[in-house]
Amino acid sequence: MKKRRIAAALMTAALGITALAGCGSGKTGSAGNAGDKISTTITVWGCAEDQAEENGKWLQTMCDSFNNEHPEWDITFEYGVCSEQDAAKTVPQDPQNSADVYFFANDQLQALIDAKAIAKLGGDTEDYVKNTNSSAIVDSVSVDGAIYGVPFTTNTWFMYYDKSKFTESDIKSLDTMLAKDKVAFNITEGWYMSSFFLANDCLYFGKDGKDNAAGIDISGDKGTQATQALVSMVNNPNFVNDAGGVGIAGLREGTVAAYFSGSWDYKNVKEILGNNFGAVQLPKVKIGGTDKQLKAFAGSKAIAVNPNCEYQQIAVALAKYLGSKEAQQKHYDLRGVIPCNTELLKTEQIKSDALVTAQNNTFDNTSVIQPTVAGMNDYWTPAQNFGKSIVNGEITLDNAKEKTEDFYKLINSSIIK
Amino acid sequence: MRRKKKIKNIGVHLLLSVLAIIWVSPLFWIVLTSFRAQKGAYTSSFFPKEYTLNNYIKLFTDTQILNFPKMFGNTLFIAVVSCIISTFFVLSVAYCMSRLRFKLRKPMMNIAMILGLFPAFMAMVAVYYILKAIGLSEGAMIRVALILVYSGSSGIQFYIAKGFFDTIPKSVDEAAMLDGATKWQVFTRITIPLSKPIIVYTVLTTFISPWVDFIFARVICRANAEYYTVAIGLWQMLEKEYVDNWYTCFAAGAVCISIPIAILFILMQKCYNESMSGAVKG
Repeated sequence: MKKRRIAAALMTAALGITALAGCGSGKTGSAGNAGDKISTTITVWGCAEDQAEENGKWLQTMCDSFNNEHPEWDITFEYGVCSEQDAAKTVPQDPQNSADVYFFANDQLQALIDAKAIAKLGGDTEDYVKNTNSSAIVDSVSVDGAIYGVPFTTNTWFMYYDKSKFTESDIKSLDTMLAKDKVAFNITEGWYMSSFFLANDCLYFGKDGKDNAAGIDISGDKGTQATQALVSMVNNPNFVNDAGGVGIAGLREGTVAAYFSGSWDYKNVKEILGNNFGAVQLPKVKIGGTDKQLKAFAGSKAIAVNPNCEYQQIAVALAKYLGSKEAQQKHYDLRGVIPCNTELLKTEQIKSDALVTAQNNTFDNTSVIQPTVAGMNDYWTPAQNFGKSIVNGEITLDNAKEKTEDFYKLINSSIIK
Repeated sequence: MRRKKKIKNIGVHLLLSVLAIIWVSPLFWIVLTSFRAQKGAYTSSFFPKEYTLNNYIKLFTDTQILNFPKMFGNTLFIAVVSCIISTFFVLSVAYCMSRLRFKLRKPMMNIAMILGLFPAFMAMVAVYYILKAIGLSEGAMIRVALILVYSGSSGIQFYIAKGFFDTIPKSVDEAAMLDGATKWQVFTRITIPLSKPIIVYTVLTTFISPWVDFIFARVICRANAEYYTVAIGLWQMLEKEYVDNWYTCFAAGAVCISIPIAILFILMQKCYNESMSGAVKG
């Protein structure tokens, strides 16, 4: 009996040692001979489109030319597929065993910082980010003054419309549009629905969106008025709730004349509308009797460096290279990814692009940088339910005040006692 | 009297037809969508305006961004291997629990019962780190890792098979043993041939669970797109960047993944009927 117990203990120990040994061999970076030329493997995770042959393999092309530009390093690249919006789900699971350089959408910044999966960028790279981007974009990738990523594009939503159905002056006001023809708006998703609250001067996490303790201030009249505006919009017979692809389907069938979405739908909308294609910044809407500017949440997509990478200098240089002006130009040429480099935005080719203009006008004039603070995580689900209650008629003009109050308490439950 | 019965029958059949329509219509809709020529996630009509095979063609030829054929192959390989291993485990454990008497039999059965109450994915992060520690989280070893995950603990699902084995009279075993058969021979030559229905059941369940699993595949595959399974692929098709272009292909994919299950079921059903007709004479 005793013998068996000892045997069991030995086996457990053996298992433990194998496990530990396994840990040691996790990284494949091997230093070259005597340190003059570093040879290593750098793992890069990007979205599948950037690596597809049909899109000219942007990522591989860029990485290879980076390798050519740096004869002092001998880099072997390994590629993985992880889209920008999946980064916060995939990387924090095991930061040590994730990519050295990866792409992320800036709303996930806090989650990545909490998981210690993203490195602060300093020196050259920091200066580069600050000098080549608008301050709003720099802001979107910084927390407490430190820069965490090299931005390469903006990320927001705007309005697509059918030029044969709305005139240039119609599209300035959502109310005019709704009086004239069908408009689809996704009210059941917080990302879109919030634009009404933002329009009516509700502050999400303070003035700069970085103050977690400030909470989401939709209290009082300003919140109630926004809710009432949402209810009136839903009550309009020309309103179509854009849930589950209804908007773009309506556009395709000719039953919807305008809808709100982002650059990812560009190719499809262009194909549907052809010469009648129109894309513009958000319209104004009547809230509490006056015209208010709808404001979209905006952010950026950026390139991050994993602090667990053995050769930080290489990873940082690569991130900077992938976010450089040339790389952004190439990204735009190959895949139509909208650049954010300020110099690049001044070139004729990009200025004349309707999509770029719509997105950048939205970013500059009708948007608010989406807060990355932790409190934002508690917002999306209640916001979705709030939108649903408006659509199914639970929230009316009369009970808007109390329902908004309930919503306010719910999304600030960690702050309001 | 007869009239009353007739009315009752009509009522029952009406109710059943309504229920059948309700139950079948989503499946029918998926099949229709898979042949729909219009793009997009939503259409205003139930029946497509035009029909096409292009969704299936695109699904299997447009492999640059979402490589469905590769995912299909990966999943098939993993599911087949897991199915074979799991079936063997389940039947072996069930046989031991049913026929052998040993000291920890009862406690082990209780523990298995309690462990079975917890959903397996609760341990997913732990499982991931263990697999990483033994070097199974990278490259081709991901397939091995997934097979291990799906089949490793399957033995715990022995309860139903054990219940079936309990109904086979022990005297049959004893007669064989008197003729000099070993336990293994009794298991393979007597118990197994008499238990085709439960084998069919075990094979089907152990095939379907890895075939449709999403959670473990996602946690273990991470960014290794080469080893993605169909569940991850189908999920990706519904992301906002892809949904408008890929929705009808998603429906086509959903139809495709039901094919191996259907084939397996048809093959197995033959077995099932045969064993029922050759009833046990106890």
